[in-house]
Amino acid sequence: MSTEYAVELAKVDKVFHTHHFFQKNDDTGRRSFYHRKRIHAVQAVEFGIRPGEVLGLLGPNGAGKTTCVKMISSLVRPTAGKVFVNGMHVEKRRHEVLRHVGVVLEGTRTVIWPLTPLENLMYFGRLRDVSSKDLKKRARDLLDFIGLRDKMDTQVRRLSRGQRQRLAICIAMVSDPKVLLLDEPTTGLDVQSSRAIRTKVVELTREFNKSVLLTTHDMHIAQLLCDRIGIIDKGRLITCRKTRDLISVFADQTYEFRLDRMPPVELITSIPGVHEARVEADGAEEPVLLVRVSEDETERSRALYEVMDALRREQHLVRAVSLREQTLEEAFLRLTESTI
Amino acid sequence: MRGFFKILWAELVRSFIIMRRYWFASIISIGMGYATLVTLVYGLVFAAGSDSIRAMADNAINGILGFLIGAFAFGIVGMFTQGIQGMARTGELEQVCLSPFGLVTNFLARSFVMAVNSVISCTVMILLVTATVAKESLHWSPFATVVLLVLTYINLIGFGYMVGGLVLVFKYVGQIAVIIRFSMIGLAIFATEQVSQWPALGRWFAHAMPVTDAAICLKYVLIQGQMRPVLDEAGQKVVQEVVPVLDAQGAAVLDAAGSPMVEAVYALQPMSVFLHESFLFLVVSCVVWTVIGIACFRYLENWSRDKGTLGTY
Repeated sequence: MSTEYAVELAKVDKVFHTHHFFQKNDDTGRRSFYHRKRIHAVQAVEFGIRPGEVLGLLGPNGAGKTTCVKMISSLVRPTAGKVFVNGMHVEKRRHEVLRHVGVVLEGTRTVIWPLTPLENLMYFGRLRDVSSKDLKKRARDLLDFIGLRDKMDTQVRRLSRGQRQRLAICIAMVSDPKVLLLDEPTTGLDVQSSRAIRTKVVELTREFNKSVLLTTHDMHIAQLLCDRIGIIDKGRLITCRKTRDLISVFADQTYEFRLDRMPPVELITSIPGVHEARVEADGAEEPVLLVRVSEDETERSRALYEVMDALRREQHLVRAVSLREQTLEEAFLRLTESTI
Repeated sequence: MRGFFKILWAELVRSFIIMRRYWFASIISIGMGYATLVTLVYGLVFAAGSDSIRAMADNAINGILGFLIGAFAFGIVGMFTQGIQGMARTGELEQVCLSPFGLVTNFLARSFVMAVNSVISCTVMILLVTATVAKESLHWSPFATVVLLVLTYINLIGFGYMVGGLVLVFKYVGQIAVIIRFSMIGLAIFATEQVSQWPALGRWFAHAMPVTDAAICLKYVLIQGQMRPVLDEAGQKVVQEVVPVLDAQGAAVLDAAGSPMVEAVYALQPMSVFLHESFLFLVVSCVVWTVIGIACFRYLENWSRDKGTLGTY
């Protein structure tokens, strides 16, 4: 356990077993009376979140992101490994840990619809052992902070999805936890609501020094919000590094050649030092040749000269050459081995 | 303990707000309850097949009381079964699981609020029905009634914890629990001191169910006024007097030969409910169900955490 982190997962494993009756077995393709399936949801995952840091956890559906969130919040017990929150072992000091953790699980499911936002905050505040003396003031402050003060006395069922989601974040924060776990907080929200939540998360970490774990499918949000990003796929943490570093890993490797007509892709691919070549905007007036080259500087230089030579030999008109700006989405797709 | 009171307060405020906000639904539910009970009274009177107004009233009041005790059990156990299912469906259960007071304390406070609500509405209902339909007053003994209600509540939550633990792991158990809940209503209605004369298996099953002895004791206090028949040396009830059978209009009922029918009124002697054998069974089942229930609930809560089903449907 490191004292550097507010949240730490040390070689955490989670295996689920599912039981099936009278269902087709995917492995044998035959229907059986009973079969048991073993799902390794999380495999030896290790990461930590520092105080005041936003860590994004990205991954395809079923990658193990939500399982990680639930293990930190003690809703799921790890099969192996340890989870610590503020230095406390989650399994051994569960009730104490819950005083330091606020969780938003799938957003709008959190709140009680017949009550108003203020009543919801009062109710959940009592459940989280917030002192009665401070509760009302804290609830009002939170509604101010999240921008729901004017909806304070409106029943939740009359609020929009974005407003309910913001309320869910308030509920997670009602006990003033040091750690905030946000499981896909912007899913299904419009641009304005999504932006409002993004802004509030930034304020939370920067002004109130909260540690935030954010799981999301929205690469744009992750890129803007997260200090560090962990990519998880099939239960394994593929990488966990600073957002800037993650994006720049592939940034110096992909070049765009804007041409007059379709280029000879096979010829380009055969050039030593070229890892991959493909045409974007296939069939368009100005096809764009994307060439991913070696990371090694010398090899990359040689490869680029040869690509230019090949294009000259084929009498292509090269309209522009540029380094492709890498996005988190591309880095993510590359790391999860889907495509470039 | 502090956690219990904190959650208790939160739950009380919440149920009060919802009751006030949906006042129309609250009134309708009381009206529906009253209509159900009135139907039940006439059903029981009809089922009794007796011409005696005394027998009819006894039968009706016994049925109403049994029904209300059953409804109390139905509600408490329901909170642990369909209640948990519903909370899992809406996501509220996940939030409750995230409370630092733990699930046991949370459900204890929730069920307590529900029990208080249920006792208040049942009292209103029973007063209304006895005053308007059964025309029979109950023997109110506050101390004995409160003690019995508390023991009934403890008994039921012990049982509820066990079933609730199962629902945490296997959410669809909730559907099976509906059968258990209805069987509790049945037991509460038909539970009488005659249970002690049932065959051994049936007798032990009845005593094991958390509602049987509670219903017997409550009926003994409220209907019989803690009086039991005097038995002679042969174990037969001693007849105090023989009175004519009267119908609903107060007229004497005649037999086929045209002579007035008579019925026996037995001699009674006072005996505290705390000396009743069903009270002993009630105390024992309270201890057993509470210990088994909480132990099972804790074990199943951890199992649910392992399976990853805690809080989800």
